Formats: sequence, C-alpha cells, structure tokens
Amino acid sequence: MTADPAIHAAAHKLFSFTRVWAIAANTFRDLVRQKVFYFMLVFALILIGASLALASINSRGQLQTVIDVSLGAMGVFSILLAVLATAMLLPKDIEDRTLYTILAKPVARFEYLAGKLLGVVGILALAIVLMAGVFCIVLWYWRGREIAAIPFYYDPAEAAQRIELVRSGTFTPSLFGGVFVVLLRSIVCAALTLMISCFATSWLFTVIVSFAAVIIGHLVAIARNVWQNPASFGVDPPWYMDGFLRLVTVAFPDMQIFNIVDEIALGTNVAPAIFATIAGLSAGYIAVYLLVGYVFFIWREL
Amino acid sequence: MSVPAITIKNLTKRFTNPSVFSRGGIVAVDDLSLTVEAGHVYGLLGPNGSGKSTTMKIVLGLVTPTSGRTFIFDKDSRDVESREAVGFLPENPYFYKFLTGEETLHFYGKLCGLRGAALAARARELLALAGLEDAAHRRVGGYSKGMLQRIGLAQALVQEPRLLVLDEPTAGVDPAGSRQIRDLIVSLKQRGITVLLCSHLLSQVQEICDRIGIMHRGRLIREGPLEEMIAIENQTELVVENATPELLADLKARVAAAGARVVGEARPQQNLERYFLDVTRDARDE
Repeated sequence: MTADPAIHAAAHKLFSFTRVWAIAANTFRDLVRQKVFYFMLVFALILIGASLALASINSRGQLQTVIDVSLGAMGVFSILLAVLATAMLLPKDIEDRTLYTILAKPVARFEYLAGKLLGVVGILALAIVLMAGVFCIVLWYWRGREIAAIPFYYDPAEAAQRIELVRSGTFTPSLFGGVFVVLLRSIVCAALTLMISCFATSWLFTVIVSFAAVIIGHLVAIARNVWQNPASFGVDPPWYMDGFLRLVTVAFPDMQIFNIVDEIALGTNVAPAIFATIAGLSAGYIAVYLLVGYVFFIWREL
Repeated sequence: MSVPAITIKNLTKRFTNPSVFSRGGIVAVDDLSLTVEAGHVYGLLGPNGSGKSTTMKIVLGLVTPTSGRTFIFDKDSRDVESREAVGFLPENPYFYKFLTGEETLHFYGKLCGLRGAALAARARELLALAGLEDAAHRRVGGYSKGMLQRIGLAQALVQEPRLLVLDEPTAGVDPAGSRQIRDLIVSLKQRGITVLLCSHLLSQVQEICDRIGIMHRGRLIREGPLEEMIAIENQTELVVENATPELLADLKARVAAAGARVVGEARPQQNLERYFLDVTRDARDE
C-alpha cells in the first residue's frame, strides 16, 4: 500500500461544496433506492380518477378543475414527501452510526446538514417534475377535449379565436410559476423538518412537530395581524397572549405566502415579481432553519 | 522530538441526566490526561462504562468535553481540520446498506477530498487490502459481520490517515478475520501509522500494543509501556529445545548453586488461535 501524493495535497477548506455534494448525492440515492416514488402511483391515480369524474360534470369548468385538483394534490404530496423523507435522515444516521464515520472525517456539521437538505431538495425537485409531467399530460388531454367541444357552427374566425383562447389560457407562465411555488413550499417544509430533527429524540416526534408547525404556519398571518393591529380586530390581548402571538409570528413559517398557488388554480395571472418575492422569502426561511438547526446540532451529544 | 499523535489534557465529561426532574449526572471521564506518541499502537483498556468510547468520541470531535482539551497532532480536535489526519472505525459499524463496497469507499473518499482516478485507484487498493475485491460490487446490506468490519477499516484508511482510532475492531469477527485485522494493524504500525485501539480482547492487545492505559470509572488508573507493566521484574524465562533429563537436572543444580530458584517447569503450548487457524487452513487445503 503506497501513499498517493494527491491524497494529502489539498489544504483543508472550511466549507467544501465537494463534501456537501457527496453527502447530497448519497442522500438522493438513498431516498431513490428506498422507493419513495411509489407515491407517484397514488398521485397519478388521483389525477386519472379526477379526470374521469370530470367527464360527468359541466364542461365549462373542466380545465380549471384539473388544474385545481392537480396543484392541490402536488402540494399535499410534496409536503408529505418533504416532511417524511427529511424526518428520518438524521435519526437513521445516528442509529446506524454512519454519522460517526462521516463526522470523523474532515466534514463540518454544517456541511453535513447542507448536504442532507440538498439531497432532499433533489428528490423534491425530481418528484415535482414527475408530478408536473403527469399533470401536463392530463391537462393536455383535457385541453384537446375542450377544443374539440367548440361547436362547429361558429364561423371559422370566431372558432379560431376560441381555440386560441383555450390554448393560450392553459399552459400559462403563471401555471409553471405555481409549480415552482409548490417546490419552494416543500423545500421550506424540508428545512423546517431538518431543523426540528436536530434536537428531536425520535422520528415520530419530528414528524408530529413538523406537521404541527406547517399547520400553525397557515395561521401566522392572522397572528401577525392581531399582534400588530389588535384594535382593528376589536381586541386588547393580555401580555401572555401578546407574547404568544409574537412567538407564533417569529417562530413559525408564514405558509400563507404560498397561497398564491390557489389563485393560480383559479386562473389568475401572477406577475413575475411576486414569484421573485416568494422565492426570496423562502430562501430566507431555508437559511434561518439551516442555521438554527446547525446550532442545535453543534450542541447535540452524539 | 516528534509531535504526539494524541494529547489529552485534564479531560472531564459529565453527561447531564436526561430527566429534568432529577439532579446530577454521570461523570464518564474524570480529569484524564494522556499522550499517545506518533508511531505507537496504544491500547486503551477498561471495563464497560469506564469512559473509553467517550474519550475516543471527544478526541474525534463527536462529543464536546465538559472541561479539558484534546489535540490530534497538535491541532485542537474541536477543529474539523484535525480530522484530516484521522481514520475511525466505530464498534459494530453499519454503512449505507444500499451502497456497494466500492461505492462506500468512493463516498468516504469524496468526503476527504479525493476524486477521479486517484479515488478509484485508492478504492481498488483498499478493497484488495481488506480482501473484499470479490464483494466490491455487492451491496453492503448483504455483507457479513466480518466483511462490515473490514470495509469499515478500509473506509478509515481511505485518506491515508496518520492516526487510526479503532473501537473493538475485531468484535464479532471469526478467528481468521480477526487475525487478518491484527496483521493489518501490525503492518500499519510498521509504516509509521499511530493506532489507538480499544478492545476487550486482551491477548490481542498484548500482541500488538506498545503501550496501554487502563481506565476505570472515567479515570486512568494505570498507564505505561506494555512490557514493563506486565513483566515480573525478578524472574527470567528460558525456553530450551531438545533438552535431555540430564541437562535439565544439571541446569536446576546450577540454579540452586547460584542461590536462585526454579519457580516452574512446563512444556510451552501454542495458543488456541494459532492451533485453530492451522487446523482450518489444513482442512481448506485438503
């Protein structure tokens, strides 16, 4: 066994994307080999089932209903995948002691967490791309049916106008922006779950607290409004209630920023600046959760 | 004088009681000071719960000490950089079950900054060293206990560390595998690699360690060169081959005449491990 001069050549870097990438790729591969994509079958069945049910209702709302059902299902499945897949990562590595062998290498704990999150982001992106693919096929089918349903007695110019209206109103930039927001929301949920798993002592605790945090996150906007402007709600909260409202506002993610998806499902066109704002806020949440998780992880006895 | 591989200064680790309703805690390591010189094989011994594993984890930066400091080649072991020089094999290691043996080494190699052809060559070299060439493309989930231990040792060596920390490296391994691992440790020592070894197999420790420390209830109660510690100062062992009864009688007479005393007389025995390995090798060759 001879020493390779390349082996000790490089000086240690405080942060190495190579190390983060190695952990991310491994996490991605782990989740893929655990067959997490079985849920895709359920998603496809829901969409196909919903499509068949649509055949019996008024044709006017079919396309919109397909979009509504699809974005809703993508949202639910992506949050489920984000929380369940992320919650098991850290406990599993601790239980199997693979964490010891990883952190005994020149790997900073921050790099480990960043790698794990990046791996989950990869899985979420792939899952959402696959779901969006199924969604587009179903939507394309229903768009064809809607175009075919345009009455033949229209004059050619009016018919062409109606066809163009259906075509341009289906696969809109806002629709794909909505899919992007679904991805951002799932990444925020994954970062939140990873942070919780850094101090949690069991997988179940992480899952329950993460889902609770996501649900509470939908009430953050209300809590913030009551805290900042109690008079407009006709209340004068006592100090402990005021403290509670502040805590909810600061400690939980405001999940209502992602409700733009519901607007898109209803056919609203959304300006690119709004997507940029949501992306910026999501990046802020992800960074904060990663940093807080890192602080918990440093304190944790392995 | 070379820089010590491990320096432990006044190390104390107190684990707080997980219950918030009870006070106090458990002192796992109590004011431990220790130096492992570079190039030595150091055996850290002690009964279960004596603080060996906690000491190892603190040295590797996995656990934060309550007080005191530890250094690896003069670098504070809280710094990630200190782990550039260390390879670690935990007790009963498990690796990612979905990875093959080769992929496992590639993964750990990348964590150490290796890549490309150098990493591929290193992985092949270590698989050969660990005797796992035939299992290189099998998933680790299907490895036997001994194979897991050997792939664990291979991953510990992936970046050519100057210090190897081994926690019960032969636990659960059959005698042939155990012998392989021991021979490997000896060859690493010959190449100047420092080894910190925790093991309950005292005969094995005796065979390979230069120096030992014995811990009990978190304290280091004995420490020093192995030969000095276990030698009986006023006795000498003489092993004679083909001695006739007359020669033995003559020797005894001379010993008595010189004022010394023959304490014991016995036929040397080979150890059971050597006997077992010879028998199983013969059976395999037949």
